[in-house]
Amino acid sequence: MAQEVVEAPIPGKILEIYVKEGDKVEEGDIICTLESMKMENPIMAPVSGVINQINVSPDQAVKSGETIAVIEY
Amino acid sequence: MAEWHKYPGGIYKLKQDLYQELEERRNKVLQMGEPRVLEERRKAGQLLARERLDYLFDPGTFTEIGMHIKHRTIHFGMDKRWVPAEGVITGFGKVNGRMVVAFSEDYSAMAGTFGEYHGKKETYAIQFAMEKGWPIIGINDSGGARLQEGMDTLEAYGWLFRMQDLASGVVPQIALLLGPCLGGQAYHPIMQDFLIQTRDTGFMGIAGPAFARTQIGEEISLQELSGWKAHAVKSGQTHVVAEDDKDAIDKAKELLSFFPPSNREKPPCVKTGDPPERTAEELNDIVPDEPFKPFDMKKVIKAVVDDGHFFETLGLYAKNMITGFARFNGRPVGIVANQPTWAAGMLDIDSSDKGARFIRFCDLFNIPLVTLVDCPGYVIGSQADWAGILRHGAKMLFAWTDATVPLISIIVRKSYAGAHYGMLDKSIGADFVFAWPTARVTIVGADTAASVIFAREIREAEKPEEVKAKRIEEYSEIYENPYVGAERGYIDDIIMPHDTRKYVNRALDILENKFVTPGTCPWKVWRKYSNINL
Repeated sequence: MAQEVVEAPIPGKILEIYVKEGDKVEEGDIICTLESMKMENPIMAPVSGVINQINVSPDQAVKSGETIAVIEY
Repeated sequence: MAEWHKYPGGIYKLKQDLYQELEERRNKVLQMGEPRVLEERRKAGQLLARERLDYLFDPGTFTEIGMHIKHRTIHFGMDKRWVPAEGVITGFGKVNGRMVVAFSEDYSAMAGTFGEYHGKKETYAIQFAMEKGWPIIGINDSGGARLQEGMDTLEAYGWLFRMQDLASGVVPQIALLLGPCLGGQAYHPIMQDFLIQTRDTGFMGIAGPAFARTQIGEEISLQELSGWKAHAVKSGQTHVVAEDDKDAIDKAKELLSFFPPSNREKPPCVKTGDPPERTAEELNDIVPDEPFKPFDMKKVIKAVVDDGHFFETLGLYAKNMITGFARFNGRPVGIVANQPTWAAGMLDIDSSDKGARFIRFCDLFNIPLVTLVDCPGYVIGSQADWAGILRHGAKMLFAWTDATVPLISIIVRKSYAGAHYGMLDKSIGADFVFAWPTARVTIVGADTAASVIFAREIREAEKPEEVKAKRIEEYSEIYENPYVGAERGYIDDIIMPHDTRKYVNRALDILENKFVTPGTCPWKVWRKYSNINL
């Protein structure tokens, strides 16, 4: 199984997480929202697969490039 | 070998034998190299080097140059080794009726390795294209440097690199990565204008996995190190990913359809059934009322361009910036847009690099540019500052200032701070700026502005939150709109979203004859070129 690491594209604060470990996601599904530049930025699944890992929690500050989740596909 | 005939003054061959000899030599070259490699390629579903050119060019239009070229190396058994076409087929022909020069590396011919005469053929093809004013397409499929030729191979790379750099900006250059292109040779495709890479078979890199292992101890597969994801997603060097050889060539043909043959001509117009003043009512609903909510800018692009057709470049990289080609009333146009659904649509290092190089390509080849703006600004914070957002972000400013093609900006929503000129405004060179009523054009957002201007008042207030809210509202009312810019003339008009296509087309019509002497600044002071923050 291949793994796809979902990284924060921008520094900011995690608002809401919509999936949990073990969930099936389709490409383009929203994993979480990230508040940055006064915007609620959707973080979308780059591939369809199963959420293997969630590395963030709500209100957590993240830097750009930080791992948000890992998808197995 | 044909038989010699004697006459008292010497010897001669029969004409029919000479013709026969040509036929034999030709056939030998046309059969290409090792049958084992040809078979492997076929099994992998790849086209052979000559089949690729057959698929690229209109049937029967290809003229080969340099078919008989031969290396002159003697060391390491090379004196006995004949390499069909020296591992690269060069020539010209028509692509959808327009001339194109191309070369196609042949992996079956000594692994398509690059030596003195292989390099000479490629270099000459580029020089030929540049001097004659036609685009060049290079098909990469080579095992790299031919080490047997030593110094001769080394120097040949220099000819190639210099020639393609000299041709840069004169004729469009497209690289197809349909096989390996590893080592210093990869500087060849990277310095061309657009790269198209096949998903399973195209590889590019400064070095392959074997070198990475021996030199720095890194264990990594070829696909991971040098495959499509490495460059289309991570490094931002592959503009378009293709499923297979045919798909890659089809995409190159489509890309060519937007380009003029050289920088001396305008890009070709096509007939379109899409009315130039067509309205797009769906655009009136696209921007959310809440400024913190994103919307898909690609929907805006597709709603305004001819037939909703948009050819995106670098679509998997720095997705906060959208770049690509489309047509307005049949005219090719480069689109530069923010994508609010990705990283707030802000300008960061990668998106600035991506946007600036795209702008410069369009400017070099007389392709007008249209921006669609919803940008909260350049990214801030230690990470961005330490990585050099200032110098990378500056590339956008240089690119716009240097551009002499028609420049049209549509402000859809936010146009704050540096992003205002980074995404093209009047002062940096726009010919037209139109804004939607949803536009918020000002130095910073109202809450930021209010918290700075009224910091003390808010701090010392009995009810700070109330005062802050009132001041934000006040600032927003005065400045967070398109009208202040329009009052000063920095915005030409505020337009309804559904009319965007009409305004862009009318602007392009009036800008058809725009001419700015290249190489001069508006005040006509001579210079070589600007010192863009590379």
